[in-house]
Amino acid sequence: MNHRKKIAITGIGMVTPVGNDARTTWASLQAGRSGIATIRYFDASGFPVRIGAEVKGFDAAAVIGNPKLLKNATRSHRFALAAAEEALTDAGIRPTATDGHRWGFCVGAGMMGVDFRELEIVQKACAPDGEFNPDGLLFPDFPADPIAFCRSQTNAGLALLTRHFGIQGYATAVHTACASGGQALGTALKVLRRGQADYVLAGGFDSMLNPTGLSAFCLLGALSTDNDAPERASRPFDATRNGFVLGEGAAFLVLENWDAARARGAKIYAELAGDGNSLSCYRITDSPPDGDGPIQAMRQALADAGLTPESVDYVNAHGTSTLMNDRSKCAALRAVMGAHLGNASVSSTKSCMGHLIAAAGAVEAAVCALAIRDGIAPVNAHYAQPDPECDVNLVLGKSRPLRIRAALSNSLGFGGSNSCLVFRNPEDVQ
Amino acid sequence: MNPKIVFTGLGAVCGAGLKVDAIWDGIVNGRSAIKAISSWDAGRWPVRVAAEVTGVDNRTLVEDRKLHKMISRTDLFGLYAAHCAIEQSGLLAHRESLAPDAVVRFNDRSGVFAGSGGGNFVCNYDFFPAMAASGGDLKKFGETFSDSVNPMWLLRNLPNNVLCHVGIRHHFKGANACITNHCVGGVLAVAEAASALRAGEADRAVAVGHDATIEAETLFHYQRLGLLSPETIRSFDRDRDGTVFGEGAAAVMLETAADAQARNATILGEFLGSGCASEATGVLRVRPDGDGPARAIKLALADAGISPAQVGLIVAHANGTPASDASETQAIRRVFGDNPPPITGFKWAYGHLIAVSGIMDLVFALMALRHKIVPGIPTLKTLDPALAPLPVSAAPQTPRSDIALVICRGFGGMNVALLVRVPSS
Repeated sequence: MNHRKKIAITGIGMVTPVGNDARTTWASLQAGRSGIATIRYFDASGFPVRIGAEVKGFDAAAVIGNPKLLKNATRSHRFALAAAEEALTDAGIRPTATDGHRWGFCVGAGMMGVDFRELEIVQKACAPDGEFNPDGLLFPDFPADPIAFCRSQTNAGLALLTRHFGIQGYATAVHTACASGGQALGTALKVLRRGQADYVLAGGFDSMLNPTGLSAFCLLGALSTDNDAPERASRPFDATRNGFVLGEGAAFLVLENWDAARARGAKIYAELAGDGNSLSCYRITDSPPDGDGPIQAMRQALADAGLTPESVDYVNAHGTSTLMNDRSKCAALRAVMGAHLGNASVSSTKSCMGHLIAAAGAVEAAVCALAIRDGIAPVNAHYAQPDPECDVNLVLGKSRPLRIRAALSNSLGFGGSNSCLVFRNPEDVQ
Repeated sequence: MNPKIVFTGLGAVCGAGLKVDAIWDGIVNGRSAIKAISSWDAGRWPVRVAAEVTGVDNRTLVEDRKLHKMISRTDLFGLYAAHCAIEQSGLLAHRESLAPDAVVRFNDRSGVFAGSGGGNFVCNYDFFPAMAASGGDLKKFGETFSDSVNPMWLLRNLPNNVLCHVGIRHHFKGANACITNHCVGGVLAVAEAASALRAGEADRAVAVGHDATIEAETLFHYQRLGLLSPETIRSFDRDRDGTVFGEGAAAVMLETAADAQARNATILGEFLGSGCASEATGVLRVRPDGDGPARAIKLALADAGISPAQVGLIVAHANGTPASDASETQAIRRVFGDNPPPITGFKWAYGHLIAVSGIMDLVFALMALRHKIVPGIPTLKTLDPALAPLPVSAAPQTPRSDIALVICRGFGGMNVALLVRVPSS
């Protein structure tokens, strides 16, 4: 018996490599359309990896309008502003001057962001031959830019969004690498259950598709090098998978108390029913092969939701398309689902969108909510060759019509942070 | 009814020392760690002071030398402070006394909550040699960066390194969060850890804040924005002219009172409540009327179920900038009226530790309660008449009760308040 407060998902907004709004993104994922292509945002032709999952045709000025706001926003902040706006519009409710303090904001944000062009300015002034000399900053002609400095601060996105939307309650930013978005939603769930807010705008945003971000992942050898076949480069659970594809984007969800949502006649996509959260305590880059860590997160999340593995019909897997991660993931699912493993349809939508890093968990939460609403398990695209170690019931070929009672979304981050969220069909909620 | 949450371990490292007792001794004796910057030649800089951690071998902070290559300076501080808090709690020895299956449960029910500075400009400078060599030609940069950048670059700079390495080292595998919310990251880590324990998501958790802000580019921008003093932090003083950076980490071990009592642990304090409020004012601006901190304090009082009159002392954010100290005073007045309890601030002693500032202040609020003394602010010469009357002083004061309020503020209009108690034995 789960006596905890029920929390409803009533609004969704997304900006992703497969669509600049939630509707387009969801349609692309159902169709298995890949958003992966040769990188065009900057000249990546010299990099060992030249492909990425970029947001395409995103006209920030048209979507956001306010030029002053744009000046204060990095590329990923812009995605966030658009996705958050869409989520609030979709929910049909937004903070006002009188209830802004009852709105919370929980976000999974990327690493400290310094735009490459801004980094070049500092390099030219302080390190013309490569070695940093701080006194270069003091030269009278150094073009100090206080706005660029503010944009680079770790909670700049949080500051920008709370200000823009007038959110004055509990506000936090979390960063647990690739688990950030999931952890942000888990935090939002707790903030609502504790009564610290009546509404929370929760999600994630990130863009590491820039020269330093791409370099960082290339150095780790974590990325697929299928430069000549970008569309199939991300193929989670396929035996020939060879790394993930770096993506970018944002997703936001509006969360509110179930009874209040019902009372105002809001459409409810799903119940955000449970959160589980663990540390693998294994290695910084590797996932434990036996699934230890993710197992605890999944079990906690199910217990938190008051559900058993039997009721899980869909799993949106972390499935990055790296060799070890996908295997560890399957080992964990096997342990948690037991005899019910074969009944749950499993897919990784990273097969189309690539890996949105700090935004991944938030985007995948939105996907779970949409999957429940429409009764469709989206396809695990670009899969051809089975890996016997990934023996789960994958959604192959095309998306699968399926009434989903409960969906589970996993996010596993570098460093071993594991987040698991459980979503429940609103028709099944008493 | 919430289960009672207690503190059973404390850890701290900053310019003022490597041990909680030593730092406290400096605070009550009026010693400040603010001095000339030594990490680069700042002789020509308009601001050349900070409270640096100097003369400390990295192996004193983290013994495992192999790990030094995998993490950055801020992580060394964080791992050290977290280890101190865990060690003091006696939980590691307690775990050794448990049966194997109880150890598994112990680990799964032990959480880690980190407040991380989130990153430094300096980490990006690792790309400068490749950028200089390629002279703005991105294609060439893409072909050559791997010759000069450490393959582990990303891992060294992950904001959640402390979270993960505390977990790996001590096998704490339970509920966790890494909060990157500028100055309030550390205090929010405490608040989230306490909330997780209250909700039964974990039985114990270490909360740690860590940051290493003293670098040229950060100092440069803060100074240009008028946020830094060239000399020292004069909280609430008529002549206050900004803040001064510090660096380091602080940590607290939290447990349910039931667990702590069952294993006869020494209880160092009790968590009573927390509140969090944003002013929605953008990165830099604060509201002059103190709306955000006032709401955070009221939320914390409500969470703790106590009245303003029960608060015995206030450790204010007191960062020494004209706008922050003035609006913080407004907030205190809005909650406590004309009769606030004795107020102090500690930043004059160890600088402004950014992501650590609130959790470090919490550690020394507990020390102040234990020693029944509200340390003075020695840099306070003349109280700003615009803030008077205000119970702040260069001389020590006496707490009105065994309860302390800690106020923490950060970029983005963030405000967090914590209430803690040290039971009068």
